[in-house]
Amino acid sequence: MHQSRNALSITLSVWKALFLRESLSRLFASRGAWFWLLVEPVFHVSYMAFIFTVIRVRSIGGIDTTLWLIVGMLAFFVFRRTGTQSMNAIDANRALFAYRQVKPIDTLLVRAGLEGILLFFISLLLLTGLALFGHAVLPVDPLAVMVAFLALWLAGLGYGLVTSVVVELAPEVGKLIRLMMMPLMILSGTMFPITAVPQPYRDWLMLNPLAHGLEMARVGFAPHYHAVPEMSIGYIFAFALLSIFLGLALQRRFALKLITQ
Amino acid sequence: MIIVEDIHKRYQTDQGPGKWVLQGVSFTIPAKLNVGLVGANGAGKSTLLRIIGGVDQPNKGRVDRQCRVSWPMGFGGGLQGSLTGRQNAKFVCRIHGYEDEIPDRIAYIQDFAEIGEAFDQPVKTYSSGMKSRLLFGLSLAFDFDVYISDEVTAAGDVNFRKKAAAAFKNLADHASLIMVSHGEGTLKQFCSAGIWIHAGKAYWFDKIDDALNAYKEHPST
Repeated sequence: MHQSRNALSITLSVWKALFLRESLSRLFASRGAWFWLLVEPVFHVSYMAFIFTVIRVRSIGGIDTTLWLIVGMLAFFVFRRTGTQSMNAIDANRALFAYRQVKPIDTLLVRAGLEGILLFFISLLLLTGLALFGHAVLPVDPLAVMVAFLALWLAGLGYGLVTSVVVELAPEVGKLIRLMMMPLMILSGTMFPITAVPQPYRDWLMLNPLAHGLEMARVGFAPHYHAVPEMSIGYIFAFALLSIFLGLALQRRFALKLITQ
Repeated sequence: MIIVEDIHKRYQTDQGPGKWVLQGVSFTIPAKLNVGLVGANGAGKSTLLRIIGGVDQPNKGRVDRQCRVSWPMGFGGGLQGSLTGRQNAKFVCRIHGYEDEIPDRIAYIQDFAEIGEAFDQPVKTYSSGMKSRLLFGLSLAFDFDVYISDEVTAAGDVNFRKKAAAAFKNLADHASLIMVSHGEGTLKQFCSAGIWIHAGKAYWFDKIDDALNAYKEHPST
């Protein structure tokens, strides 16, 4: 036996093992699991794009409607999928806590990381597909896009860290949280431009940090996009860091409770 | 050597804290001694094993492990149903830091488990006997000082039990076993000392037969 493995090397080997295991079960658990993983967001985004472009308008806020919609939805998915996956991580990996090397927080962080990587490839695929249809998809300011996606991913991680503990302590809350996701998607400005909302309601909508991230991502793709003037990347980062901090504190406080029962 | 000191444990229920499962359990397990745990269903045997194995925490008291203790092998967990036996084995190798030796360890596990082609089938298709073969092989692939088994051998057939017992005879000079079983034969085959768990307390017996007798005299409570 490796006599003196230090805490860091144990954690790293656990992360690696969990990562490989999670990717296996996420991509190959059932027949064509990887295919559905990719197709689900593509389908979701495509039919929305179809409805919007055929029935409604050709441009929103000065940019191509399809691009506006797809970037917004992808950005929201970064938050939602990271958040939901990590929220369910502890419950899904309960069997693994039989090994004392594996801590609840490990499963959660690994899942969030895996989801981020998967979403990166899904985004590439979607944008490539869009390019084939003749849309201009290359972001003018790629760095801004990455910063926006990073902010949303961090927000998703923070959300997952907090909700995974909350759901463990009060399972009923989990149902409420899941119900909230759909309205949250609409309120974050995936389907209607928040710029079109009159004051004071726009200020209320902009209390939602996700709306800032979505607008930021769109501006990264097309700087001439008429974003909400109140947009602030600092706001969503502050939210993300605060929720991660709170989440980590909760994970630490309830570490034992998460394993036992 | 494992020192268990004044362990108290109760579980949280929907109506608040449940009744005490273990109430002041203390004993010392010397090195290289195979110990069997006996007691009625719900007496707290598995709970105690989980606490010794470090996957559950006592409400009060402490466990001092002055050696390398395996994870508690049991039906409760440790294997993911959707992954194959091989994938599960690789996972366990990795978290124990044997990344570089995976092929050797896998070969050993496959050889010990003797489950044939099922090794590359999802674990959810296994019978409980096949699972116990895999779990036992998994834990034997690593050098622990103490192996913890929660009824794992129960589902195994005669052949497997012989093989497991022989493996432990080989290990006897540097490793030991703590096991829960309701099979009297199994306990006598594997263990020399016994602990009887009754009404939240643990009673140590130097001979497993005495522990079994004490248990049989109080069958219903």
